[in-house]
Amino acid sequence: MNLSRKNSIASGLLLCTLSGLAYSQDAVVLYNERVVALEETLPDATDLWVTPEDLTRINDFELKPEGACLAELCIPVLQDRDSDMFVTRAGQGWFNMTGLADKLQQAWAVDYADGIWSFGVMPLDRQAFFRGGMAPDFELPDREGNVVRLSDFRGKKVLLLTWASW
Amino acid sequence: MPVWQAIYEELGSDNFEIISVAQDTGGEEAAGPIYDAAAVTYTHLIDVNHHISALYNLVNVPSGVWIDEQGRIMRINEGTYAASHMDGAFGTDEYVPIVRDWVAKGADSQYVWDSDKVRESIIERTPEAERAQPTFLLGSYYFTRGNDAKAEQYWTEAQELDPTSWNYLRQDLQYEEGGSAGPQWRERRNRIEAAGGTYYRSLEIESDN
Repeated sequence: MNLSRKNSIASGLLLCTLSGLAYSQDAVVLYNERVVALEETLPDATDLWVTPEDLTRINDFELKPEGACLAELCIPVLQDRDSDMFVTRAGQGWFNMTGLADKLQQAWAVDYADGIWSFGVMPLDRQAFFRGGMAPDFELPDREGNVVRLSDFRGKKVLLLTWASW
Repeated sequence: MPVWQAIYEELGSDNFEIISVAQDTGGEEAAGPIYDAAAVTYTHLIDVNHHISALYNLVNVPSGVWIDEQGRIMRINEGTYAASHMDGAFGTDEYVPIVRDWVAKGADSQYVWDSDKVRESIIERTPEAERAQPTFLLGSYYFTRGNDAKAEQYWTEAQELDPTSWNYLRQDLQYEEGGSAGPQWRERRNRIEAAGGTYYRSLEIESDN
């Protein structure tokens, strides 16, 4: 894992340095119900590198001096020099989105040819599910587009039923 | 679905909610008319990405989860037909009465599982099987944009990554000759059951003593 990560940084650097062309490459990220179009990513053979702003658009994590943070959780990320999680090119910082997923053991899949990146459910959201039998919260749009959360029904018994037309 | 609507009207919504979630890539067009025909008034959603099955590790439909007032799971991962149908080939009339008992008695209901039983009943997935979900999502992205070749590629890969998921198989078969319960599905079901696997975990209705 570490080896391939280093190679991927190297390949990203090589591509940018040799081509002398624009750094950016567009991509689409599928994240739960979100379909996030990215105008720019750092070209790389294996990983998805996004701007800090796009990181937040994708999964609400914010890049702060102490790291990539969501609520009380912060994953440490060095930003004063290049690392496997963050690099700076021509003054622009790039965050390793798939590197974060790997650290959090979040599954992902990609169509490299089209630049479509797809992320699985976040393991952090399910720790209390596996360990304590707590129902993971979710957000889904209803048929009118209003967001419905399981937590909207706290204080009531809920019978959650899946079905399908097929 | 009309049965659940009747149950909902009977049990009221003061202390009880049904959240019905269609696992349907076909979206409103596929699932909407079925909700409309039943004039459903409980919370009803259409989950084009099968997110709920991914989040709760459910592998088939219909599946049910009981969640108490504090968000604790009380039962999970059961084939929850509201009533028997197709001449008894599917479903049971025994499930609705235990829901009624739980809504009335809460934690005192004999049908509530303890936390060990709940944890044991949550299906565990291998890292490969966890990758099935984002892969399925990728296939659905292409499907809804009319790229059938890539949709097929990723949906097939998702089935290979998580062979325990009937949902990924049957959603895919829906768009192929024979449909979601045709020869391909029967062949696969027979193969898995012959190998000791299960199509559904059987429903356990606790006895009175």
